[in-house]
Amino acid sequence: MRNPLSLIVGTVGVLALLGILGLAFPESVAGDLAGIVFSTSTATSTARLAAPIVLAGLGGIFAEKSGVINIGLEGLLIISAFVSVYAASVVEIGSTVFGVPALAVGFLAGIAASTLLSAVFAVVCIEFKADQIIAGLAIWLIALGLAPFMSTVFFGGVNTPNLGASVGWRYSAALVLLATVGSWWLLNQTAFGKHLRAAGENPKALDTVGVSVSKVRYAGVLLSGVLSGVGGSALALSIGQFVGSGETMVQGKGFIAIVVYLFGNYNPIGALGAGTLFAGLQALQTRLQQLGYGIPSSLVETIPYVAVIVVLAFVGRTQIPEAAGEHYETEE
Amino acid sequence: MSDSDPDTDRSPSVLARLVAPFVDRSVAERLVISVAAIFLSILVGFAIVLVSGRIAECSTAAWTLPFTGIGFCYDPVEVYVVLFNGALGYPFAVGDPGLFNPGWSPFNLSFGLTLSETTLLIFTGLSVAVAFRAGLFNIGTQGQLVVGALATALSVLALVPLLPAGRVAGVVLIVVGTVAGAVAGGLWGAIPGALKAYADANEVITTIMLNFVAANVAYVLVLEVFRAEGSSVVATGYVPEYAQLRPWLFPASSDFALIALLVGVGFIGALYYFVEHTSLGYDLRTSGVQAAAAEYGGVNAKLTTVRAMTLSGALGGVGGAVWVLMSEGRWMASIPDLGFDGITVSILAGNNPIGVLPAAFLFGILKGGALEIGFRTDVPTELVAVLRGLIILFVAMPEFFRMIGRYAGVGGGGVAASTEPDETGGDGGETDA
Repeated sequence: MRNPLSLIVGTVGVLALLGILGLAFPESVAGDLAGIVFSTSTATSTARLAAPIVLAGLGGIFAEKSGVINIGLEGLLIISAFVSVYAASVVEIGSTVFGVPALAVGFLAGIAASTLLSAVFAVVCIEFKADQIIAGLAIWLIALGLAPFMSTVFFGGVNTPNLGASVGWRYSAALVLLATVGSWWLLNQTAFGKHLRAAGENPKALDTVGVSVSKVRYAGVLLSGVLSGVGGSALALSIGQFVGSGETMVQGKGFIAIVVYLFGNYNPIGALGAGTLFAGLQALQTRLQQLGYGIPSSLVETIPYVAVIVVLAFVGRTQIPEAAGEHYETEE
Repeated sequence: MSDSDPDTDRSPSVLARLVAPFVDRSVAERLVISVAAIFLSILVGFAIVLVSGRIAECSTAAWTLPFTGIGFCYDPVEVYVVLFNGALGYPFAVGDPGLFNPGWSPFNLSFGLTLSETTLLIFTGLSVAVAFRAGLFNIGTQGQLVVGALATALSVLALVPLLPAGRVAGVVLIVVGTVAGAVAGGLWGAIPGALKAYADANEVITTIMLNFVAANVAYVLVLEVFRAEGSSVVATGYVPEYAQLRPWLFPASSDFALIALLVGVGFIGALYYFVEHTSLGYDLRTSGVQAAAAEYGGVNAKLTTVRAMTLSGALGGVGGAVWVLMSEGRWMASIPDLGFDGITVSILAGNNPIGVLPAAFLFGILKGGALEIGFRTDVPTELVAVLRGLIILFVAMPEFFRMIGRYAGVGGGGVAASTEPDETGGDGGETDA
């Protein structure tokens, strides 16, 4: 289960079996299911839903590889989702700022907000040696309070009005692929990637060769902020609205992202595969509701969450970086 | 804190000095940090109110920055005055002559609401604290509360026709309902405990996922099976009045029963005794601080993990029972975030059962005050949810306050010298995310 390859092979296998069953018995449940899985609308909504999960997961890899467990990814997604919609609505759809269209401004603002919040997290964890898990929870809870608060201030309710414009699924898919390849390259092919892994595995060695451990860790956490910002903005702008009721529209995707990169064994390609799988489950869930098997929609909604628990139970202890979660004191 | 001279470098801050004779230094330090964290988050909240008041649109400025003439839509001073004064039912006469309102009585509606929140937060705070002491992050108190609350409502409603209505039946129903809530919450909490112990699944993630599952499954159960006839919302029928915890001394609409608060205080005492003075509690604490050492010392770490999560879940379930029997009178779909508030309460309390009482009262004031903010100002009540996160963030960074302490020349020596392992630390939680 730890090998991302086995995951991909397994997924393809299940899909193939489903396809064959669906073709052989088009009238059965399998036939319906195959119809859903291979329909265009499921594919496009998978691409849309995969963006926040995979991108936050990639961000989580950078943070954790550098030695800082970022459990606040959910908060970064929430804040960027809100700010992207807010900024786009301030610019107003149809107008531009310095030639940049409103949706793009929203995107950039969302990324900036998430990066800023991740910077707060980085300072708290690295400078002030906070417990990373508790600080991460705080980042999540701050965003969970702040986004609906600001939405109420600006729009008079926890849900923003719809922008009336949205980003197409192709952009989401392209961003995900680009970020995955880019992350893989950065982690495995550059000196920075080497430093990042050393900061998480053996910070003392990194320190000995004269590279600042805290600088590398700052970079890792900030990267998680940038990537989560892209994911959160993509999520909200692909719908054109921020929903702030309950657990907000992010609905635990930041936590699913953590499971995704654990499942993918810290490999960006593995995270892409696992993230697409979970996003596919969520997309499937939406379609199943529309089809109506007499199963209450709320029950179907639990499928991705149960899947996360099952996966986590099977994955168990992963190859977590040796020094992740620990503070590092420079020895001068 | 700048009033002491540099010579008193090794003395802790004023507050710590006051309490030092009664508690050991690490508790004193934690107390100082908790107070400072609240103060700091209120300060940041002040800034947030100002900034959002600058961006929000209004016809006349509610507050003007001195000397600059820059107007703001919200008055942060007013917000906090309303928050703290309002939570207590306006005992202080602000703007009027005299310090106190002559007509004030402690048994007013607002203070009742505050104490009602306090009571609920005691249970959720204890739930999070017990898990923390065992080195486990139970973020799932919310789900355990939802499940426990449903079990309470359903068990009481099922037993009502079997018993003759009356005071005796009421007591029986309340006890049975609370036990049912505890059992259901405990079982729900045992799931992530077992997953952690036997499959190494990180409890932070599993408990958060189980929150979603609990909310959805409970919703479906009530929607499809147990929904009260003619109810416009997704809710069970009301528990009969004689089986509810009714307000006493306080106005009926305050939803505050003194007996529930007393039971909560009893729970605090019992839990303190359990954690500090029983062998099971000792196992729990040692596996929280040093899991490997505990195992070496003969503690069954896996079983301890399951036990701690079950106990934690049961406390969350009791919180749900009290919510049904005291606050709402029935189970309904829009359950407040009491479980998440419990995280703040526990962290504020240094995960110490005794500390849960003042922490829950303080957070109860914030929650009670939020209602007043909603009535009297334009500032969204979500402000308190922001403060909830900020408080956790600041308590999580003791080093920040130590730095300030060193910088100010106060509290540095005593505080910085403590190098003992941080018990809040989730050694158990962070090494296997």
